[in-house]
Amino acid sequence: MPCALNVENLSIRFSGRDGDIAVVDDVSFRLEAGESLVIAGESGSGKSMVCQALLGIVPKAAKVSGTRIDWNGRDLLATTGEAWRAVRGAEIAMIFQDPTAALNPLITVEHQITDAIRAHRKCTKDEARARTIEVLGMAGFPELEHRMKSYPSELSGGLRQRVAIALALSCAPSLIIADEATTNLDVSIQAQIVTLLRRLKDQLGLALIFVTHDLGLAAEIGGKLMVMYAGHAVEQGPVLDVLADPCHPYTHGLLRSAPTLKSSRTNPLQPIPGQAPKPGSIGKGSPFRSRCPVVVGGVCAATRAGWTSAGEDHQVACHRFALDGREGVR
Amino acid sequence: MTGVLEARNIVKTFIVRREGKPHELRAVGDVSLSVAPGEIVGLVGESGSGKTTVSRIMIGIERATSGTVTYNGKPVETRADWRALRRSVQYVFQDPFTALCPTMRIGDALAEPLIIHNMCPRGEVPGRVTKMLETVGLHPDVARRMPNQLSGGQRQRVNLARALMLEPKALICDEIVSGLDVSIQAQVLRLLVELQERLGLSLIFISHDLRIVRYLSSRVLVMYLGQIVEQGPTEAVFDNPQHDYTRALLAAIPDHSRVLAGAA
Amino acid sequence: MALTDPIILANLRPGLFRRLRVNLALGTGAALFGVMVLSAVLAPLLAPAAPTTVDLTAVRLPPSAEHLFGTDPVGRDLFSRVLYGGQVSLLVAGAGMVGSLLLGTLMGMLGAFGSFWVRAVVDRAIDIQLAFPYVLLAIAITSAVKPSIPVLILLMVLAAWAGAARVVRSIALQERGKDYVKAADVIGASPFRIAMFHVFPSVVPSLVVLAAMQMAAMIVFEATLSFLGMGVQPPTPSWGGIMLDGKNYITSSWWLTALPGLAIVLTSLSLVLIGDGLQTRRDALRSREGDA
Repeated sequence: MPCALNVENLSIRFSGRDGDIAVVDDVSFRLEAGESLVIAGESGSGKSMVCQALLGIVPKAAKVSGTRIDWNGRDLLATTGEAWRAVRGAEIAMIFQDPTAALNPLITVEHQITDAIRAHRKCTKDEARARTIEVLGMAGFPELEHRMKSYPSELSGGLRQRVAIALALSCAPSLIIADEATTNLDVSIQAQIVTLLRRLKDQLGLALIFVTHDLGLAAEIGGKLMVMYAGHAVEQGPVLDVLADPCHPYTHGLLRSAPTLKSSRTNPLQPIPGQAPKPGSIGKGSPFRSRCPVVVGGVCAATRAGWTSAGEDHQVACHRFALDGREGVR
Repeated sequence: MTGVLEARNIVKTFIVRREGKPHELRAVGDVSLSVAPGEIVGLVGESGSGKTTVSRIMIGIERATSGTVTYNGKPVETRADWRALRRSVQYVFQDPFTALCPTMRIGDALAEPLIIHNMCPRGEVPGRVTKMLETVGLHPDVARRMPNQLSGGQRQRVNLARALMLEPKALICDEIVSGLDVSIQAQVLRLLVELQERLGLSLIFISHDLRIVRYLSSRVLVMYLGQIVEQGPTEAVFDNPQHDYTRALLAAIPDHSRVLAGAA
Repeated sequence: MALTDPIILANLRPGLFRRLRVNLALGTGAALFGVMVLSAVLAPLLAPAAPTTVDLTAVRLPPSAEHLFGTDPVGRDLFSRVLYGGQVSLLVAGAGMVGSLLLGTLMGMLGAFGSFWVRAVVDRAIDIQLAFPYVLLAIAITSAVKPSIPVLILLMVLAAWAGAARVVRSIALQERGKDYVKAADVIGASPFRIAMFHVFPSVVPSLVVLAAMQMAAMIVFEATLSFLGMGVQPPTPSWGGIMLDGKNYITSSWWLTALPGLAIVLTSLSLVLIGDGLQTRRDALRSREGDA
């Protein structure tokens, strides 16, 4: 099944004492089958909320609005209650940061997955079991026959995450969302999981949304990148283009703050001064203006920047960039 | 070279019961490491490598099964020795959310080391707290707050500030930036560099993130399954790793500079 | 990211009750308990008669406008006796609660922070106390010495300290394993200092909950002892004592036992409600602490 996700002007708000607080504000993106999109951002950037909206699992108090979220001709914004079941798990699956959250500790790995399969489609026990072995194999779960009888608590963090991936694959979804899925893992396990996700994307033609705070990881995943800050998308484009040629002062700041295997103290890190703004305190202006070194006086405080093209498929929402181009945001 | 702080032949074993029979589990096997005045030593490894255990043994939170910790060449053995050691060596915990007493105001937590060790007249305490908060880049008003009113980054600075109140000669930092956002992480790293340069602080910096260790430390030790498998000057280890594990670890680190270089 | 989202939620639109950090159980319980305490304190003003004035012309009168709760077998006004009895019952229960919490906290902290031998002794003492039938202990003591209010309070402290000690010890042990205690150790804090300034404040919220629950149990315990004749001695009224006086007439004059019984039930109910409410509040605050 071809996948086409088209999110237009997605906003997520909570009502607060002084009116609504937007945790995601006017975010749009597209994704085709076989493509990957990395959503990168720090705590409070709203990147997890975007994913939750795609699965209809935002907290009850949240209000989701927008022009539409088009998913293969179905508008997810208009989807409610029971109708979500046909989408969730079956067409769009999610892998969480903490695999234990998705796994029932009292049920063996094998039964978790067969149960999930039989909940979504009619099939015999044997067919479900065959599919379970197939997806565990796809997820690179070792010593299948023997270890699929284990309980989640008997597995290491890396293996648990593989089970969670197998569970996500079990109903043959066309989009997988991985929300900080490798954050708690050791680096060598993380590298294995990233390789696995990339391979699954290519082999099965899956669309992949990978949420992370680590730009190094974003580069390893590849595909498209959307950088989020305080609920806003500030820059998007092909991962390598954005990282090689960052055009938003925030993306610049992130890259200057993050050490790489090439960095040394002769070229010191330059932290972004200050703290991220509190949700609801941004108002009409640019979300990054309070920490931005190249604020455009008067303009950044008053209006949000629209998208400016910075190359093929590469867009930036920054007044300074629109005014002075690349030199202005360096 | 006499290191300020040195651990020699540290072994730590745990007894665990497996199927009813006691098994000896070797968390750390024969590890030696030292840190010279003003030096930053990086200790890297994955979870279960024993790096945290080694660091905790060096400050006496855990006891080694065998091996010695020496400070300025003298072995640290008795309770009094450890007390003396902790006047000069301090420790910053990994998790900023659990390392601060939840019921104590920040100012009181920072004043505590001064009061315990009678470092200065009572009247000077608030001034010193304020100065230290400024040193770690926090507003003096933070002293009146409770820990749960602070963000992770702010708490980690408070932890750092508290360890620095005793004006230690050496600091052991266990994964202190791994829970922080990138931009905040850079602020803390910059602060550590500044402290090392200005106060001549020695630092044992424990991390699983080789990118940070490469940036910060001049010498690096790689731990794997309780052993040090490779050590040397940072440049040498990173640019020309000798041990397979070090190579695997380096290859596993997600790194955009490498991906970009590969694409170009 | 996931870390901040719950905080945003927690800060939204707190209702009136939540802003005052008072929930329904706590509010109802406190109001009810307030009424009970006030009526005991104001007994001299509220009582229509002295609690010990005998009037043999008006024995065992049922409740009426003149005698709200009726009169007892020797014609004393039951309403006045219940009001005055509240003074005694609440005083004894309150003192017993405070005493048992003090002793329990001390023993609990020793059980968590003492040396190996101190911990062993405290552990055994708690086990023994919890296994001991304290009604028997009460009978033994009151048959050896003449029952009086101080003896009664002492008895209640002996009967109840172990419950508090167990709660305090388990919380203290849990806190002791946390990094902040190790951090305090590293900066040179003594075990006493750690126990007093770092761990004890974390015990307080649970102690407050426990205080309410303990008080409720004390009210009932005092009534039990007095009802068994081992409590406050006549003619001083206490709720249990008043019930004892009416015991023989339970089939003919229900008010003699039912109305003081109602006072006991309402008071302990109010305290249980307070305890419940405090517990909910404590858990809510604690979970918010965890998120922030």
